Amino acid sequence: MTIKNYEQMSSLEIDTLREIGSIGTGNAATALSQMLGKEVRITLPEVRIMGYNEAIEWIGGPEAVTAGVLVKMSGDMGGIMLSVQKLELVNIILETMLGKGIQSYEELAELEQSALIEIGNIMISAFVTALSGLAGINVNLTVPAFAVDMQGAILAVPMAEYGGMSDYLMTIGGNFVCDGKEVPSHLMLSPDLRSLNFLLRKLGVSNE
Amino acid sequence: MKMTQGENVLVTYALGSCIGLCFHDPRLKLGALLHIMLPINMETGRTHPLKYADTGIRETLRQMEAKGAMRSRMTVKIAGGAKMFEIAGGSGLGNIGQRNIESVNAILKRENIRLLGQEVGGKVARTLFFDVGSGQACVRSYGQKDIFF
Repeated sequence: MTIKNYEQMSSLEIDTLREIGSIGTGNAATALSQMLGKEVRITLPEVRIMGYNEAIEWIGGPEAVTAGVLVKMSGDMGGIMLSVQKLELVNIILETMLGKGIQSYEELAELEQSALIEIGNIMISAFVTALSGLAGINVNLTVPAFAVDMQGAILAVPMAEYGGMSDYLMTIGGNFVCDGKEVPSHLMLSPDLRSLNFLLRKLGVSNE
Repeated sequence: MKMTQGENVLVTYALGSCIGLCFHDPRLKLGALLHIMLPINMETGRTHPLKYADTGIRETLRQMEAKGAMRSRMTVKIAGGAKMFEIAGGSGLGNIGQRNIESVNAILKRENIRLLGQEVGGKVARTLFFDVGSGQACVRSYGQKDIFF
């Protein structure tokens, strides 16, 4: 059956996406670990398909300021991938790479931004590489874009881009454990529906 | 869409490329705050009319007129339509914010509603407050002073 929106997915299809989410997040954590030169583990990632309002509450309310790295996918699979970086994660990255953390996002200068973009980009790429390897598809990624602003507006980007088709977002959240601290991390994968169907068919779970 | 009458304040949070519209009938002190996400409704079933500029504005006007509002007195203030991410190469995301602004302007003109003020475009997210008693709107953005308009 071809899916017309996320709500129509069967539990098998959701489980498959959850599995992809786990593997992708695992790869992203490994990439982060290599980049930072220290052990980064992940707690069991949570894959959720939820409405915009629910997703916003889940990551901490619309007005909270956060850093977002966004990459657009094209090729066999189209969509958006977003890495939302909370201040705790930002500080782990900056303290390790540059030796100095920040108190608030306003202190982000060019060098710090560039470090965050690179980390976001590497995590997203690791995720997508895992996904495309698993499904045997080719996915191209754009150069990463970066914004620091209210997370409600950042999350609205994939919603608006594919909002004509669905009111739901697929979010993958997991906590990274680094230096004994547990920090939340959120990667969001929003494939367009054509690509989602293609992906499920490639993985052999679409009952067509 | 939220509608209220009297001395109340309506809020919509974190408008990015979305647009918030404050409809106001000063005589009745009737106000509505609409939050649209996309310029044109192309849904087949039209289950979410308020998500789109065209059907959202018309539906809001219909509900306000049902409460006695008159188009000749009505004014609108809008905020939002920002571009949150700049993707290098320009191939990236369709500029939904800009398309929203254009669509909202065109539809307000067609429906004969006076546009009294706007805080649109740019690349910042906005939280929009609308004081229905006075008709005053206020935009709050990260790292900037509040703007009254």
